[in-house]
Amino acid sequence: MMNKKADVLVIGAGLSGLMAAAKAVEQGKKVLLVAKGMGALGLSSGCIDLWGYDIDQPDQVCSRPLQEIDKLIQVNPHHPYARVRDVLEESLDFFRKICAENGSPYLENEGGNWLLPTALGTMRPTYLVPASMAVKSLEEADKILVVGFKGLKDFYPDVLVANLQRNAELKPSCKLEPVLVEVGSEELKPAALAHRLERGEIIDKIVQQVKPLLSPGAVVLFPPVLGSSGGAGMAGRLADELGCPVYEVSNIPPALPGDRLQKTLLHHLKTRGVEVIIGSTVTTAHLEGNRCVKVTVRCLSGTMTISARVFVLATGSFLGGGLEADIEGIKESIFNLPVQIGAEEWSVQEFLDLKGQPFNKFGIAVNDHLQPVDESGQVLVKNLMVTGANLAGCNYPIEKCGNGVALATGYKAGKLVEVVHGE
Amino acid sequence: MTDKAQVVIIGGGATGTGILRDLALRGISAVLVEQGDLAHGTSSRFHGLLHSGGRYAVKDKEAARECIEENLILCRIAPSCIEPIGGLFVEMQGDDPEYTEKWVSACAEAGINAEETDVQEVLKSNPALSSNITRAFKVPDCAVDGFRILWGNVNSARKHGAKVITYSKVTKIHQENGSVTGVELLNKLTGEKKTIECEMVVNAAGAWAGEVAAMVGLEVNVIKDKGTLLAFNHRMMNKIVNRLRPPGDGDIFVPHGTITILGTTSQTVDSADANKPERQEVLDLLKIGKEMVPEIENFRLVRAFAGVRPLYQPGSSATGRSVSRGFALLDHQQMDGLNGFVSIVGGKFTTFRLMAERTADLVAEKLAVDAPCRTAQEPLTDPVPEELLKRGKKVFGIPGAKKAAERLGDDFARVIEEAEQNAEKRQVFCECEMVSRAEIDFVARDEDCHTLGDIRRKTRMGMGTCQGTFCGYRTLGALNKYEKFARSHREYLSVFLQKRWKGIRPVLWGQQLREAQLALGIYCSLFGMERMK
Amino acid sequence: MNKTNELALDNCIKCSICVTHCPVAKVTDKFAGPKQNGPDLERFRLEEPLAVHPSIEYCSNCKNCEVACPSGVSISTMNCRAKGEYVAKNGAPLRDRLLANVELMGDFARLMPGLVNWGGKVKLFRELAERIFNISADMTLPQYASKTFYELYRENKPPVSAKKVVYFPGCYVTYNTPEVGLALVKVMAHNGVEVLVEEFNCCGVPLIANGLLADAKNNARNNMRKLEKYIDAGYQIVTSCPSCNLALRREYGELFDMEKAHRLAEQVIDVFEYLQVLAENGELKTDFKHLSLTVGYHQPCHLKAVGCGVPSKGILDLVPGVEVNDLDAGCCGLSGSYGFKKEKYAISQEIGRQLFQAVKKKGLNRVITECGMCQLQIHHGTGAEVYHPIQVLAEAYGLGSDIK
Ligand SMILES: Cc1cc2nc3c(=O)[nH]c(=O)nc-3n(C[C@H](O)[C@H](O)[C@H](O)COP(=O)(O)OP(=O)(O)OC[C@H]3O[C@@H](n4cnc5c(N)ncnc54)[C@H](O)[C@@H]3O)c2cc1C
Ligand SMILES: Cc1cc2nc3c(=O)[nH]c(=O)nc-3n(C[C@H](O)[C@H](O)[C@H](O)COP(=O)(O)OP(=O)(O)OC[C@H]3O[C@@H](n4cnc5c(N)ncnc54)[C@H](O)[C@@H]3O)c2cc1C
Ligand code: SF4
Ligand code: SF4
Repeated sequence: MMNKKADVLVIGAGLSGLMAAAKAVEQGKKVLLVAKGMGALGLSSGCIDLWGYDIDQPDQVCSRPLQEIDKLIQVNPHHPYARVRDVLEESLDFFRKICAENGSPYLENEGGNWLLPTALGTMRPTYLVPASMAVKSLEEADKILVVGFKGLKDFYPDVLVANLQRNAELKPSCKLEPVLVEVGSEELKPAALAHRLERGEIIDKIVQQVKPLLSPGAVVLFPPVLGSSGGAGMAGRLADELGCPVYEVSNIPPALPGDRLQKTLLHHLKTRGVEVIIGSTVTTAHLEGNRCVKVTVRCLSGTMTISARVFVLATGSFLGGGLEADIEGIKESIFNLPVQIGAEEWSVQEFLDLKGQPFNKFGIAVNDHLQPVDESGQVLVKNLMVTGANLAGCNYPIEKCGNGVALATGYKAGKLVEVVHGE
Repeated sequence: MTDKAQVVIIGGGATGTGILRDLALRGISAVLVEQGDLAHGTSSRFHGLLHSGGRYAVKDKEAARECIEENLILCRIAPSCIEPIGGLFVEMQGDDPEYTEKWVSACAEAGINAEETDVQEVLKSNPALSSNITRAFKVPDCAVDGFRILWGNVNSARKHGAKVITYSKVTKIHQENGSVTGVELLNKLTGEKKTIECEMVVNAAGAWAGEVAAMVGLEVNVIKDKGTLLAFNHRMMNKIVNRLRPPGDGDIFVPHGTITILGTTSQTVDSADANKPERQEVLDLLKIGKEMVPEIENFRLVRAFAGVRPLYQPGSSATGRSVSRGFALLDHQQMDGLNGFVSIVGGKFTTFRLMAERTADLVAEKLAVDAPCRTAQEPLTDPVPEELLKRGKKVFGIPGAKKAAERLGDDFARVIEEAEQNAEKRQVFCECEMVSRAEIDFVARDEDCHTLGDIRRKTRMGMGTCQGTFCGYRTLGALNKYEKFARSHREYLSVFLQKRWKGIRPVLWGQQLREAQLALGIYCSLFGMERMK
Repeated sequence: MNKTNELALDNCIKCSICVTHCPVAKVTDKFAGPKQNGPDLERFRLEEPLAVHPSIEYCSNCKNCEVACPSGVSISTMNCRAKGEYVAKNGAPLRDRLLANVELMGDFARLMPGLVNWGGKVKLFRELAERIFNISADMTLPQYASKTFYELYRENKPPVSAKKVVYFPGCYVTYNTPEVGLALVKVMAHNGVEVLVEEFNCCGVPLIANGLLADAKNNARNNMRKLEKYIDAGYQIVTSCPSCNLALRREYGELFDMEKAHRLAEQVIDVFEYLQVLAENGELKTDFKHLSLTVGYHQPCHLKAVGCGVPSKGILDLVPGVEVNDLDAGCCGLSGSYGFKKEKYAISQEIGRQLFQAVKKKGLNRVITECGMCQLQIHHGTGAEVYHPIQVLAEAYGLGSDIK
């Protein structure tokens, strides 16, 4: 059986794994990243949610997420943010730096949340957004034109329009108009549409059909298909041609922005010399005392082992594969770490309950070095750090903090590889 | 508003729609009233097994004989609603071999063709089954699609002048001088009330029959027996598999289209609406199912659902499975002196046509109409012409076309036409069950269609692996142009997702938990729908 | 895993990640994509084996879908089987049979390689081939070597050594780039390992990709027969072609359910994986020349699918003066016979465009990649000289003279 060696083995290619690898390789480590597949990042809107709503007034979009997180840590010291508060700002800066270097800048809204429209016509708060999604001052628009594509079955401008009226604060005089443009294809998949846009084939067609509908003060919203690669490129180009701001809204998968971010970060890693293996699953860990020496990996074509000095467990929650539930219970899939299940019931009756479904909170407890600990706080595996969605205590879909937690914890793990190895 | 008809039928299940068709074919004017969508009751919450009668052979020869006779009739008149895949009865290690012998001869007596088959062959073609099977017999069990049978009944009845009113609950039954004169309805969507004058009322309200009888102050003793069923994500075997022992819980697997259904439990409940499956029932079923399918935990469950059996019990207190599955036709004129009121209770889906025939015979006699029953001869649905199927395959692909043809029957041609003319309509909206936009659009236009759930029942949209996460949203988009679906997106979508959630919750582990996390990611993280206005 | 769920059908959560990562679905609307053809229709195929979307022929068998899937669904295996069903029912065009039958083509070309190579460059012949067989007139055809690898090997037998491996060269090395095979033999000999060869059949991947499963299985059986004694004797079986590697390690077991497939899988190893093991044990010779060579590296899709990472990376990192730039620009688009088909040529080039651009943007005129087909396509799309990494290593040991 083949054995590979590295200083740091990052398990998982979601946002937290990618951040951990990026930070570790920056310090000159030999980093190997192994993942079963692409994680939740590719399904996400590509925006980095940090904290969405006021803790005291859960209907109120929170205006200062970082301060709200300070408050959160007071009331909920078990939230993953409590473990990474010290590096939160730094991690966001690091992330923005990498993205900018790779041509996909992420924008901040002066320390506050963005409130961005979705394909359903709702408004969602988020913290860092790709330039193509950074809708500014929708409330000042005189007209909002929502452009869909004939043949794209996952985006309906009239639905967006109907609900935006109810869900956004707009000028009373603001006109909303849906339009379906035709670009000459029966069934369009988002990735194919994005590719054709990128190729410049259909830009003229779109402009021709959209431009006549514009009036001064108009803002144009598109589904998230404006180009396959990151950056404001395509949205910017359309904005130039149309002479008004153009944005993408978030939509159900398959959507491009999350995928773009994942590709950007992977590209960054590969060009920095990180060896990336996707499609291979880590099945078991081999411990000596309370240190991990190597792991067994099942590839599409057999098995191998990987030994490393430090391991980062960035395997996500149930969706990612870090946690596995069967009829009897829930386990962490590689190290068999104890999984914290606070609530008695895994789920509650209302699907869209405002408190969230309890199972989203299940995960691993860690100390300030992100090492997994047992109930008494004893470190279970010394050279292992746990990051992202498989940490206990955060209900990201409701709290609006999924990518934020993944980003900050991943970063911190990358930063601590030396420290943790020395322990 | 007042309407008139000779007969009002209460209940849009298999029995009620069967009666509607039967009366219509005899030229008797009839209106069927249903409180929800068609198949709102037990007829959409059952196992989907068109019994060969094997299950009842030992205990209730009469019921067994009825089953096999009706089974053969339905296979003849409604082939597009039935998958004639055949069934197996398997004896397992530890089962009583004497019971097997008894069963074999009972089948012979009831006229059920039970043929012993090689166990090794069975295991080879059904690798999911346990190697502890000791003997196996083939029987003519079939899988039946309850929805299609119901639509078939209704379409046929409508062609002969019958009417159907859905989402309307019968709240009162009027009587004068010892005779019923009409019923009062409450439209559940609009709150409107309405009266229908009639000469006769047929109570075909299934598990609700007691409540309906109570409206005229009579007692009809229906035991409400809840049964929970499990839907697995794929076909685990290619035949229906019954355990060869005295009928008990959880001992039948029915492969049904893309899925497999295991059932069922049996528990007496107070209300006909008590159809919430519980996690414990799921665990119980899996435990028993494991005997026949040893790796059962490794098969993904997509949901659990429950129905309430209407078991008729003339005045005794025995509960559950030991109560007769036979049906009873109650002539309340004879029994209680109320003219024009008839109840049909008990029975099985398999025997709905026979129940309808007997009921219609009585109704016809009372109305002095001399017309024989024709439902055993007249085809329920016409087979879809080969040429049409070919055209369908071009626009919907092989399985898409086949399934749509079976569901749509005569309407298939129109749906194909629309898809041929408009490329957009060829899009597969429900990717798990291969339902096209054309079909969804067509069904949505139907005046009886009011919710995403109605579309789901008519098309199978949202019934597959993802349980509506993707197609629910898409459908909303495509239907926005219809006023009835444009009113509140939040409500339509969340009611739909909530109903799906009800069935997912009891099986929330493994892949279904991952699926749920994805769905929440979409509806909360991406759409913020929990706070949508 | 259970018996009716062997391809992890039940694991699919319908997330569409596979669709986003399919290079074919990205550039054409003609392909319904991996999800529909894979796990979606697989549920229907359990009832109706012919439930295959006709666009299945657009799948290039690159396996990106499967690599990206977060659920471990064997998407491309479902697709391969479905394509097999489809072809078994509807037949395959003669063109596909020709293109898939790499050995036949090779054996034919061998009779008069000069003539064939010349013919492959003459417009008239190419246009004829396009008209008659629907073989694209625009795609550069592979050049046939004047002697096959096996012939050259017999002429240049490596010294006998106690340490032996078996080499499975694959068709492209056999007929088109025997120099790669020779470089491998020399590098191994330099490290004290004797390379044995046998005249194997085509691994079967081109046949599988064209839905010709019965023929592929035949090849697999023949190869298995030849490999059996080596497997039993505990030899490692070295490959230089990622597709052959994938076939031996995975497809023989998964698609053909062959008896010793499991043991075969354990003994097959990429040449650089093998060298890495040597390095780890301190047995790799490091007497490298300084090369001053800057190359782009393209990771073939099938190497991604093998899942051993980039085994050449660790070794080439040891060679002084070699700078390897990871191009990370996705699938090259050729996918074996796929890009030669007239109706798929444009798709194939469109897929490869990103890669070509990356090469050009970086101003590279030398590229390394393990797969022969990728080598051909990158050369076709960029004009760059393209090598197998083993040729660079041979050069570094002073054993080769391939790098221009
Ligand atoms: C549909 C959806 C939309 C979302 N939208 C947003 C959004 O808009 N904004 C936001 O901030 N958050 C969003 N989130 C939440 C956020 O994306 C996640 O919480 C976050 O990305 C989690 O990142 P992660 O790296 O911890 O895990 P994941 O992204 O889940 O990654 C886990 C990785 O580990 C790998 N893995 C698992 N097990 C193994 C194993 N045994 N061996 C090897 N590899 C393994 C997986 O293949 C994967 O690569 C969304 C989530 C979902 C599901
Ligand atoms: C778990 C389970 C599994 C089963 N499996 C099988 C099987 O495999 N094979 C088989 O043959 N049988 C099976 N059965 C039995 C079979 O499903 C039922 O016998 C049959 O569906 C009953 O049909 P029905 O029309 O009489 O009742 P229902 O389908 O319940 O119809 C009665 C209708 O009346 C309506 N209604 C009630 N009150 C009013 C009112 N006041 N106004 C208007 N409408 C009203 C209800 O909404 C309901 O739709 C099963 C039953 C259960 C519970
Ligand atoms: S096969 Fe995998 S990637 Fe494709 S939809 Fe299913 S789970 Fe997602
Ligand atoms: S194998 Fe390649 S071409 Fe085929 S479906 Fe998968 S990703 Fe697409």
